[in-house]
Amino acid sequence: MTDRLERLINLVIALRETRVPLAVGEIRERVAGYGQDDYEAFRRMFERDKADLRALGVPVETAPLDAWGDRQGYRIDPDRYDLPEIALDSEELAALALALEATDLADAAAGGLRKLAVDAGQPPSVAGREPTGPQDAGARPRPRVDLGLDAPHLGALMEAQASRTPVRFGYAPAGRAGQAAAGERTVEPHALVHRSGRWYLVGHDRDRRARRAFRLDRISGSVRRAGPPGSFEMPEEPVGPADVVPEAPAPDATALVAAQPDVAWQVARRARGGGEALEDGRTAYHVPVGDPEAFVTWVLGWAGAVEVRSPPELRAEVASRLRALAGGRA
Amino acid sequence: MSASATLRRLERVLTMVPWVLDHPGVTLDDLAARFGGTPREILADLDVLGYCGLPGYGGGDLIEVRVLGDRVSVHLADYFRRPLRLTVREAVTLLLAARAFAQALDAGESGPLAAAAAKLEALLGSDSEHPPAVALELSSPAPESLADLRAAVDAGRVVRLVYRSESKAETTTREVEPWRLAASGGHWYLQGWCRLADGPRDFRLDRVREHEVTGEVVATPEAAPSPPIYRPGPEHTEVVLEVAPQGRWVVDWIVADRVEPRDGGLRIAFRAATLDWAARLVLRLAGHARVLEPPDLAARVADLAAGALAAYEHD
Repeated sequence: MTDRLERLINLVIALRETRVPLAVGEIRERVAGYGQDDYEAFRRMFERDKADLRALGVPVETAPLDAWGDRQGYRIDPDRYDLPEIALDSEELAALALALEATDLADAAAGGLRKLAVDAGQPPSVAGREPTGPQDAGARPRPRVDLGLDAPHLGALMEAQASRTPVRFGYAPAGRAGQAAAGERTVEPHALVHRSGRWYLVGHDRDRRARRAFRLDRISGSVRRAGPPGSFEMPEEPVGPADVVPEAPAPDATALVAAQPDVAWQVARRARGGGEALEDGRTAYHVPVGDPEAFVTWVLGWAGAVEVRSPPELRAEVASRLRALAGGRA
Repeated sequence: MSASATLRRLERVLTMVPWVLDHPGVTLDDLAARFGGTPREILADLDVLGYCGLPGYGGGDLIEVRVLGDRVSVHLADYFRRPLRLTVREAVTLLLAARAFAQALDAGESGPLAAAAAKLEALLGSDSEHPPAVALELSSPAPESLADLRAAVDAGRVVRLVYRSESKAETTTREVEPWRLAASGGHWYLQGWCRLADGPRDFRLDRVREHEVTGEVVATPEAAPSPPIYRPGPEHTEVVLEVAPQGRWVVDWIVADRVEPRDGGLRIAFRAATLDWAARLVLRLAGHARVLEPPDLAARVADLAAGALAAYEHD
């Protein structure tokens, strides 16, 4: 039996070098490695080979064999097969190799980096991870960045976004208040955004008729197609990291808090304006409130090191929560 | 041989042949170093290649592979002059790594990394009408101390930190031999050897109150530190909470051992370095959580709440 590697290489060459698309029968007769099996066995073998080549990125296309389009054949368009000239210089290639190391993607992207190294005609030390030369000895470890490319559904959603395929999925928003309902969402994916350690899908929510951001780790179950590829228009305005930040309500509202000396500096980073020293050694700050529930949660986490002075309703809210938490001890 | 092993070999052949065409006489060792595998495996790939070619497979159709000693050349394979195009996934992965690393280094819009990213973007744009749209921001805002600490790591200079520990709720001054900066989960960390704790520690930069780069230079560590994630130790207390729907956010704040749905809320099991840290977490949950384990945690929560309440009771 012919080696499968040999058959796959021959199939790539035959489909790439043919002037007209090859019918399935022609492939069976002409490409070395097929032929000897019965038709059903051949067909299964060919389907598997075709799928594997496509998964590798080999652009195996179907094309009509006649003007009526009744019969389909196969071919590989050389222009879509060949890597265009990118011409990274040796510094750029080395920088990219370092970036892959820093993001822990050296293994995941080794194949891609090798293609670029071949294109650039560069020496081996940057093309692979194998120790082929002295690593710049004595150099300090470079920053490390965790990109979380193993986030659930990331690959499927990138594909859906690039092919403009609407998707459906179950979504359970957490939200501190937790009032938003869990349920099915139908979304036209516009972009994927990594912000502060998390992946988000930004897209047009068809039910809410507005652009929304969805955290990937809150998607439950699987991501399904909700329409054919190319069935929506990409909006003109680009998507950026800011698109995943919920709008802060009433940004002007602040609360007056008193912070104990050992935590005052941390409160100061959140405060608007400078602090004011109090007689008891504490410092008073004006802190933006934003979402009141989130603000109360933040104050409670300080366990007495931060006290709310005003407004009275927030002070009362914190006191009532503390009373409940203290139980009979108060 | 497994299907995926065959495909890895195919991928290697399709990337390697363009190189050999451009560099006749290249050695097997060089190819192995460049494209992965052993010289023997490379030789096996080339052996298979010699049986491949255009349909007809007669003289002049087959690829010509010559191996003289350990030197290799390939002829009659002009269709493999270029490597296979990058897949979208490969290109996006490379681009994201470049952008993220540029942000981590604060490299800006110039320099080799930015140039490489721009070329990859152009490639993605030319490949399809709608290239994948991805955006990236490592942490916002970037900590003020980042630039100073980056310089300290590069020079191997000991830093003095005034640091507030979240687990012990105390502020200490410590000298740290800096090893590396790491961005993970939306936070920047300085990893290094803490002389106060006499052990390796990760310091979250937003909890650094003051920093000072000293003149003392220390040697580079031999092994790179592991990523800054909380690693529960056996001595840490197991905590079990029942959390109402309003408190679901807490799963983002902890490394949970178990999360089970319970009556619309969650039952969460995790380990805490100190009881105080767990108690303050329960305070933040503001009545939306019930403590199941350990028994002394509920009492600690009540104590902390009662202490904090004192300031409010004279109203």
